[in-house]
Amino acid sequence: MFGYYLELAFRNLKRNPGLTALMIGAVALGIAVCVMTLTMYRAMSGNPIWWKNDVLYAVTMDFWDPEQPAWDQKPDLPPTQFTYRDALAVYASDIPKRKVIMHKAVGIVSVDGQQVKPERALTRVTTKDFFAIFDVPMQYGGTWTDAADTGPEPVMVISRKLNEKLFAGANSVGERIRWNDNEFRIVGVRDHWMPLPTFYDVNNGSLEEPEDVYIPFGWNAALEIYSAGNTNGWKPEEVDTYEDFLNSENIWVQMWVELPDAQSRDRFMAFLDNYATQQKNAGRHQRPLNNRLTKPDQWLVDNDVVGNDDRVLVGLAFAFLAVCLLNTVGLLLAKFLNGAPMTGVRRALGASRKQVFYQHLVEVGVVSSIGAALGLVLGAVLLVGLRALYTLDPSDAAGTQAIAHVDMTSVVTALVLAFVATLAAGLYPAWRIGRIPPASYLKAQ
Amino acid sequence: MATWNFRPIASALWRNRTGAMLVAFQIAIGLAVLVNAVYIVKQRVEKIGRPTGMDTANMIWVSSSGFAKDFDHDATWREDLATIRGIPGVQAASLISNIPLSGSGSSSGYQPKLGKVTPDETVPANTYLVDEHAVEALGITLSSGRAFLASEILPPIETFDSAPQAIVTKAFAKAMFPDDPNPVGKSFYDGLGKPIAIVGIIEHMHGAWVGWDKLDHVLLYPRIDNGPGSIYLVRAEPGRRDAVMRDIEAKLGDSNPDRLLRWVRTMDSFIERSYLEDRNMAIFLVSVTSALLAITALGIFGLATFNVSTRIRQIGTRRAVGARRMDIVRHFLVENWMVTTAGVVAGCGAALAVGYWISLKYELPRLDLYYLVGGVLAIWLIGLAAALQPARRASAISPAVASRTV
Repeated sequence: MFGYYLELAFRNLKRNPGLTALMIGAVALGIAVCVMTLTMYRAMSGNPIWWKNDVLYAVTMDFWDPEQPAWDQKPDLPPTQFTYRDALAVYASDIPKRKVIMHKAVGIVSVDGQQVKPERALTRVTTKDFFAIFDVPMQYGGTWTDAADTGPEPVMVISRKLNEKLFAGANSVGERIRWNDNEFRIVGVRDHWMPLPTFYDVNNGSLEEPEDVYIPFGWNAALEIYSAGNTNGWKPEEVDTYEDFLNSENIWVQMWVELPDAQSRDRFMAFLDNYATQQKNAGRHQRPLNNRLTKPDQWLVDNDVVGNDDRVLVGLAFAFLAVCLLNTVGLLLAKFLNGAPMTGVRRALGASRKQVFYQHLVEVGVVSSIGAALGLVLGAVLLVGLRALYTLDPSDAAGTQAIAHVDMTSVVTALVLAFVATLAAGLYPAWRIGRIPPASYLKAQ
Repeated sequence: MATWNFRPIASALWRNRTGAMLVAFQIAIGLAVLVNAVYIVKQRVEKIGRPTGMDTANMIWVSSSGFAKDFDHDATWREDLATIRGIPGVQAASLISNIPLSGSGSSSGYQPKLGKVTPDETVPANTYLVDEHAVEALGITLSSGRAFLASEILPPIETFDSAPQAIVTKAFAKAMFPDDPNPVGKSFYDGLGKPIAIVGIIEHMHGAWVGWDKLDHVLLYPRIDNGPGSIYLVRAEPGRRDAVMRDIEAKLGDSNPDRLLRWVRTMDSFIERSYLEDRNMAIFLVSVTSALLAITALGIFGLATFNVSTRIRQIGTRRAVGARRMDIVRHFLVENWMVTTAGVVAGCGAALAVGYWISLKYELPRLDLYYLVGGVLAIWLIGLAAALQPARRASAISPAVASRTV
């Protein structure tokens, strides 16, 4: 019977091409807008390290101004970064399985005897666990040692992109490279890695591309490196030298730890509280004890990575889909009722209500399938348009390209949602037409 | 004067209420979206269009990074600015620590008196270290006082520190000294209690972060920014910006092997980047809302067409017993108006609810009722326009149809 219903559906749809086009167009447009918005929303709000969500924690500690909280809007949250000395003190704990303290800086990289011009590179000044704790893939080599962090030793990991530019993509482990005119040795090349959003440092936007250069944390003091991200302070204090800066209450260092079980988590929490209390007794940290271990998903929420605009857009997308579906239901109903005399004949010739219902449902299915297919194509086109909207400078468009990357999960979600919704919407008209008493239409003939 | 015959129209409509209700729902959603989208878009357009106080159209920014160990910061910036001033079409060139409206910068809190003050008494400001050419290069207007003298510019220091003098915006001065309309010569204090004397007042100027409500609190210090990176501001004569940019790149590109000329960019590019989210939100809202209204209009059109096509015989009968074409058109327009109005009534509630949610999210004033009135009128017009063609087609049905079998 299905083949016959399908044939009937196509024949019926061809009878009112205008109405059919209108219905398919409405479904397609609704799906397209949903695909686009959900893709964008996922890019902004997804948890890019979900598989480690239960073991990875952002560490925060409240050493802010005794007079006022760090965030006006969220007064119970500690600031997102550490002071240098507190970061070092907490980093000394051996409770976490892995731990990292780090910040963003800027350096000029150059290679002696090469034609490539010196280049500015965003640099992550970090302890050695950065790659292991965030599951960062490596193309060649690996990270450095503990001794290299404290030494500090002149070792460096560069990105695959920078490696392609400087060394034509060859295995460059062991090569010499200069960073702000200081000689470093390459020990590793990071492979392609584009977490969206860039959860590990949300200070300067969440669609940034990860850094191209990684050097040991100990170089801060040796090279007097300032953060290229945010440095915030609350305390008026004399800061005349870099030494003063390292000992000041300015916060500019991020910390993450990996704690594999509840027991280590509790122990580390106790360690944090203990440290804070000690500092308090020594006359620092006059705010109430407020240390936190925050999982990545909550971290993204706390830091407003998902903006209000994104929520409004998702609301809008669903309102749009609702209008499209209401429209489709209305048009289907009109179309089915228009064909009621024919249905009357079928019923009079012995078709059961159930059969009439199935016949019309097949027609609904045809409309929603074609609409969903068209909607997917249209959604891809809209995403390309969206990328154009967000790309000002084609040379640094990595993050925005990732937005417009048609991400399979969100496409499938939107598609299934729209298809099911359309089909559900078609249930009513199909049911309604089955209920029409055949006699009333036969009489009019 | 014919009567409007609301009751029979309403009862005819009630007999086919499902389709009408579906359309009314669409209209309700359409109105809620339209009103709030227009409200948000208007906020964004106003935000983007705010006057900056600077001659942004002719401003160029140049970034240079010294990286060699023996890099001489002081000699480099002096040489570079001298080279830039020698380029034809350059009106002024200056050394500034950060780029206004770029989303990166420094800020600090200040207080009107010495001693401990409450957070409310602290006045925050965007701060910039500048040389004596900055006022001319920024194209800002001083409403009183004067610009810095060359002799007042202090040498670079390693870390964050202020200077004993400053030029501030009127908005900052007003927040600091609410009762004094012209506080030139007066002093305020930084967090360490060091006094800072006001030498000049800027009529209006924007600082670093477009989303900050203290954007117009700007403070210029007479100090050379420390190296090894430098930012130069160049103001070109009107119409010569692009030519000047090419000349700067050509002349500074390879002039000094100890540094990298990172980029030469227009001020407009920074402003565009800072307002990108707002601009895109506006574009997105306008396009989705238009598409939504278009689909709603098609829904209205579809319903009206369907209503006409199922009532061809009745219409013919009415025409045969004396109804004029006008009466038929009016019948369908009134019927459609009733559906639209039902949707509009529901939509008003939805629009206010959504507006309330948005005002909470964005911390904006509650939706203005003018928007609602405008939205209702717009939806009525759209509804009328969408039903006009089917109504006209209905009126063209010949009375003879009544006597024919279909």
